[in-house]
Parts: sequence; C-alpha cells; structure tokens
Amino acid sequence: MTAGQYFSLIDTMARLSLKAEAQRYYLGYLWWVLEPLLWVGVFYVVFFQLLGTRTPDFLMFLAVGKLMFIWFSKTVNYAGNSLTTNAGLIGRMDLPKSLFPLTVVLECSYRQVAVFLLLFVLIVTDGFSPSMLWFWLFPLLIVQLLLIVFCSCVAAVLVAFQRDFGLLINLGMVFLMFVSGVFWDIRDIANMAAADALLTWNPIAFLLHSYRQVLLWGEVPDGWHLLNLGLFSLVAMLVTLRLMQRYGAHVARRVVSA
Amino acid sequence: MSAVIRLEGVTMSFGLSGANSGEHQVLNNLDLEIRQGERIGLVGRNGAGKSTLLRVIGGIFPPATGKVWRHPDKTVALLSLGLGFKGDLSGRDNALLAAMLQGMSRREARKRLEAIGEFTELGDFYDQPVKTYSSGMRSRLGFATGLLLDTDILLLDEILAVGDHLFRQKARLALKELLSPDKTVILVHHIEQAIKETCHRALWLESGKIRQDGAVPDVLAVYAAET
Repeated sequence: MTAGQYFSLIDTMARLSLKAEAQRYYLGYLWWVLEPLLWVGVFYVVFFQLLGTRTPDFLMFLAVGKLMFIWFSKTVNYAGNSLTTNAGLIGRMDLPKSLFPLTVVLECSYRQVAVFLLLFVLIVTDGFSPSMLWFWLFPLLIVQLLLIVFCSCVAAVLVAFQRDFGLLINLGMVFLMFVSGVFWDIRDIANMAAADALLTWNPIAFLLHSYRQVLLWGEVPDGWHLLNLGLFSLVAMLVTLRLMQRYGAHVARRVVSA
Repeated sequence: MSAVIRLEGVTMSFGLSGANSGEHQVLNNLDLEIRQGERIGLVGRNGAGKSTLLRVIGGIFPPATGKVWRHPDKTVALLSLGLGFKGDLSGRDNALLAAMLQGMSRREARKRLEAIGEFTELGDFYDQPVKTYSSGMRSRLGFATGLLLDTDILLLDEILAVGDHLFRQKARLALKELLSPDKTVILVHHIEQAIKETCHRALWLESGKIRQDGAVPDVLAVYAAET
C-alpha cells in the first residue's frame, strides 16, 4: 500500500464513519458542536454559578480548556476500541493495523475543525481580538496532533491485547481532565514548584495553558518546551507506528482470537 | 501453473484471553502447496482449523512456527460470513471500502460499485445500512465484492452456504464461468455438491493436519464414509 492509498483510505473511512454517525441522530452534524457546548455549559454552571470560581473570563477560560481537551480525550478513548471493533475486517485482510486508530484520529480531527471554528467565534464575540500571537496556534495544534496519534495507537494496541485497558483508558481520561487545569487555573497553585512540575510533565496541562496564553492572555508560550514536546511526540509516534507495522500480524491474531 | 502459496511446517496456536488463559493448538505441522488457477475445496469437521488455515494463507495471522510464502504480486481476499462489514454503512459504502482496501483508488473503486450492486440483486437495500441485512444479503454483498474486484486469490469461508437457492446457484455458476481460469479459489463449504461443482482438488483437514489431499471425488468419498 502506497502512502497515497493509505491516506486516501483513512480519509474515506473517516468520512464514511462521520456520515453514518450523523445519519443515526436526528440532529445529525449539529452534535459536533452541540455536545462540546453542553459540556462547557454544565461546567460553567457548576464552577461559576454554584461554586463561584474567581478565575477571570471564566467562560472563555473554560471553553478553551474543555474544547481543546475534548479533542485529545475523545480521540484516544475512541481509538482505544478501534482495533477490537474492526476485528471482523482485521480477521479478513492483511491491513496495516495503524489504519484503524488513525482513521479515528482523522474522524475526530474533522469534527474538531468545527469545534475550533466555534471556539474562535466565541472568543472573538467575547471581545478578544486576533493578534500575531495567534500564529503560535499552528505549532501548538501540530504538537497536540502528534501526541494524539501516538497515544491513540498505544491505546488501540493495549486494548487489543487486554480489553481491561479500555476501562483504564476511560478512567485515565477523567483523571487527566482533573489534573490538566481544564476548569481551574494552574497559576492558582500556591506551590510554584508543583505548578512547574505539572506544566513540565503533563503535556496536556502544558498545551491547554499555552492555548490560553495565546488566545486569552496575550502571552508567548514556552517555545523551548513546546519544541521538546513536539520532538518527543514525533519520535514516539514514529516508533509506535513502526512497531505496529512490524508486529501487525500478532495484533491481528490477538484481536481475532479475543 | 506456478505456485502461488506454499506452507511449510506451519503450526498455529491461540492464546486464550481473559480468565480462561491457555493455548489451543489449531494447525499442526502442516505442509501445502497451491498453484495458480486451482479451485480447492476444504472440508473438515467444526474446529478442524479450516478458518484458521484460510487466515494463515491470507497472511492475516503469522504461523507460530513454520513458513508461509505467498506470491508477492497476487492480491488475496478472505470472504466470510457476517464479518468485515461496517454495519452502520450502506452496502454501497462497504463495497467502496472493500475495493479501496484491495488497493484500488477511490475513483477506480467508484466505477465498480454499480456492477457490484447489480450482481448482489439487493435493489434499494444496496443503499441501506448493512446492519439491516439478513445473513443471505450479507453473503451476497461479500461474494459480489470479492468476485468483481479482480482478486487473484479468493478464500471463501462458508460464504456460499447461506442465502436463497437461486443466488447460491448464480454464485457457483459465477465461480465457474465469470472467474478467469488464472484466479485461485479455496472454498470452505459444508455442502459437498458445491465443492463437486466448483473444485477439482479437495483437502480434508482434521485436528490441524491434512488427512487427505487429492481429486474431489476420492477425498469426498473417504470423508463421507468416515464422518
């Protein structure tokens, strides 16, 4: 399979899957933006109205955090099951196993484009104006995508070998949401060393913080850390894809016999 | 005709997952050569290893030990019942995917869709989600995609065993007449008539080993006497 065929295939699979999903629901494609908006709405009511959080511009703060976090969490959660749900196809054809998690990544990324546009509209209507700083979004999005591909492939293989990992990944995403500053500000942590450690070792916390720096606070993100994270994600992704290619038939045997 | 598939000393076992872990030996030191254009009927009791053998031949599983060689230029498709379709997608979209998975470009694949739809005789159902299909309709779709995609090696796992009588006849006829003689077919089927009509070589698989390999009437006669 050539690279062109490979990408054309994941593109087709992703589009067909999105189409089928939209046909299942009365509100169809509208759910792409409705679901994330509902999340933001519920968090807003709980943390702002009920708990009275004092984070400035909390609605936008939350929208950036939650909408960018959903891209990661949803993709990895879905991708975790991508090999097992395609067991029928995997048991019938000798295909590159990375095809399945990558289709999920593309599918969720197409959906994320709509969410991202929604986020822009929200931010601009709220009075934030675009600036040159927004160009930082490109490297930030690329690094997040690399990280998503890496984590999605790892999740898919783990679940293929032992389904229990599916539950752990679901739980892991909830834990990650709590420790990544989705609905609270890392700058509020009194212990500076702890806040630094969180931004250094939790890539999602770092990315969400950087998105907010760029979109809401007019600050330049930590480019050096972003570069390191990008390089790590790239290498980790390439190694994982290579391993999936090399041990694809073992994965197939496991998926089909499970 | 030259060999397209060669198996040498192939052994295969499955690790059982979950609470029932352990190993289950499915293929046992198996040697086999298949030449281009052969039509082979594979018989054996349930659990004899027929489906696993097809998957090893199709390159889907690596053997635990032994060697599997497949002609590098030949495409192979394994068609089995109820597997490999995406239930949410229509028959047409599934056919498109199947064609692209066989290595066709999107444009090439689109060109085949009408012919596939026609062969399946699914009518309006061709554009309905596959999850609404009966098993016979699924097998028609699977067979038509396999047949009309110019696959070099077709592995048919009980796919002609369901559906209505007329379509089964049409499918068997298509295997004999539509498929060009250079295509290789391995057919797993529990109805001996289908194997007699379609194949000229039969393999009897028992406990992961080849019990008998030869002309269809000879193998089937012994198989029928002993099972």
